[in-house]
Amino acid sequence: MTSVSSAVESKTGNNRFLRIVAAISTLSGWISAGMILLSVFITCQMIFVRFVLNGSTVWQTEMVVYLMVTATLIGLPYVQSMRGHVNVDLIPIMCSPRLRYCLSIFTLSLSSTIVAVMVYYGYDYWHLAWSKGWTSDTIWAVRLWIPYFALPVGFSLLLLQFIADLVAVILKIDAPFGLEAN
Amino acid sequence: MDPLFLGALVAISTIVVLFSGVSVAIGLLIVSAGFLITFDGLRSLELMPEILFSKLDSFALLSIPMFIIMGSSIASTRAGADLYEALERWLTRVPGGLVISNLGACALFAAMSGSSPATCAAIGKMGIPEMRKRGYPDGVAAGSIAAGGTLGILIPPSVTMIVYGIATETSIGRLFLAGVIPGLLLVILFMAWSLYSTWKSGNTALLSSRSYSWQERFEILPRVIPFILIILGVLYAMYGGIATPSETAAVGALLCLLIAMIIYKLWHPRLLWQVLRDSTKESVMILFIIAAAGVFSYMLSSLYITQSIAEWIGTLDVNRWVLMIAINIFLLIAGFFLPPVAVILMAAPILLPIITIAGFDPIWFAVVLTINMEIGLISPPVGLNLYVINGIAPDIPLKTILAGSLPFVACMVLAIILLCVFPSLATWLPDKMMGLAR
Repeated sequence: MTSVSSAVESKTGNNRFLRIVAAISTLSGWISAGMILLSVFITCQMIFVRFVLNGSTVWQTEMVVYLMVTATLIGLPYVQSMRGHVNVDLIPIMCSPRLRYCLSIFTLSLSSTIVAVMVYYGYDYWHLAWSKGWTSDTIWAVRLWIPYFALPVGFSLLLLQFIADLVAVILKIDAPFGLEAN
Repeated sequence: MDPLFLGALVAISTIVVLFSGVSVAIGLLIVSAGFLITFDGLRSLELMPEILFSKLDSFALLSIPMFIIMGSSIASTRAGADLYEALERWLTRVPGGLVISNLGACALFAAMSGSSPATCAAIGKMGIPEMRKRGYPDGVAAGSIAAGGTLGILIPPSVTMIVYGIATETSIGRLFLAGVIPGLLLVILFMAWSLYSTWKSGNTALLSSRSYSWQERFEILPRVIPFILIILGVLYAMYGGIATPSETAAVGALLCLLIAMIIYKLWHPRLLWQVLRDSTKESVMILFIIAAAGVFSYMLSSLYITQSIAEWIGTLDVNRWVLMIAINIFLLIAGFFLPPVAVILMAAPILLPIITIAGFDPIWFAVVLTINMEIGLISPPVGLNLYVINGIAPDIPLKTILAGSLPFVACMVLAIILLCVFPSLATWLPDKMMGLAR
């Protein structure tokens, strides 16, 4: 399955701020893709150790899970910049250009607000894990502030991308919802 | 406040928020946060990142990006075209060989890629022009591919089934097996309709295909057999108890990437990045919806909405089949607007207790739900596959594609009816291979 959106990826024009944010989001996409690829290799290595060498595995399962979670959170801004997060754009398509513009400003502001909430409480949760020295209850005993760090970082980058999208719509560099005017 | 009234309020708010054009995952977080603040106070928001993280913290979820990489690497090659050609060359003596090979190629490609739009695009690019060149009606050419593409979410390995398995805590292996016979049933129904409508169009000459030499038939096999072997290997490893779905999917992903690199020369970093980029985009999108739906489901449960709805349905004196029809209509409507993964994640926590109380098998229900979602993929207003076909063959009006797809929707409805009358169509294979569930 893929996106059901009729939109195309975000436009940056010649705006320096938008280009910098786009570059950061692309970099986060690279990091996310790298982590997913790395988890493929680690899982295959784990199977090799377990079934071919008849050895036991300690860190692999936990490592690939945390890589996947981190890849998801760090990949959020990249997917947003590619407009890959599915949405129902039926009403925006039916709206007049003016109404679509207002709706786009409203939804982007609302999205930014909820993401800002996630940044705040995500940081709080990470800080708690760091200050209390939480570790996972496995033999590997991972210091949990490491994977939890993806929460504030991922959501902060997503917030940045949302702000950039908002700026692009306000400055008329990008079309509201990425939908070209009818 | 009465939890049922609250449930109705949540449903209306969710519809309003999602239809405003906000992304599904963010929309679910907005609704969850809104209700949590209103009824549990501001401090309840503290839990949101923790729940979100914990919903992703699962080894079973790893199978999603792995199967997506597997599908993307196959979809980025000429494998679809080769598969189509191989089937056409081998089914040349079968009456209506071309439309049969198109649907067969759709089923096989769907099994390999697990993606409906990718199947439509890969097979349709070759299949639609060829069918039209030989005089098949435009509606049959476009409709058969649009419908054939939907098999991607039913025939294993299917990402939609994995998501259902995770959302409802049912066995993914069992779900995959449950999709096999209904998937084949749909293929047969689609083929039967295509042959009938071609025959009815009066051009019976179309039902015979051109002939191919044995050399032509064999020379194409080396390009498609490796992929089919990987899929069979993945399924064997899973059901032979050798490895978990996530582990086999990881091996499958690596092998598919390697084969795409070796056979289809997909070694250029730009092409590899394309595969990884598409996989990352789709994986992150699905995983974020899963995480957000986890927060949404926590909100429903914390406000006692899920439990109240299940209790309320339990007290209703309605026939279980009337209930099932109502659920099907609800799913059908939801599927018209939302992608399958989002519908499953939002509906599963509410529907599963109802299904169980009414005495339906959750594995059987997964198949019915998935076919409902398949209908949504070829029905307006979203109907993703219709737009994919429109992109491949822009000169076929969307109206013709839609009209051509409608008989296939009828085939799917017929399949749902058959599944209701004969539930063992879905449950027999998993019970036979993995033993009885209960």
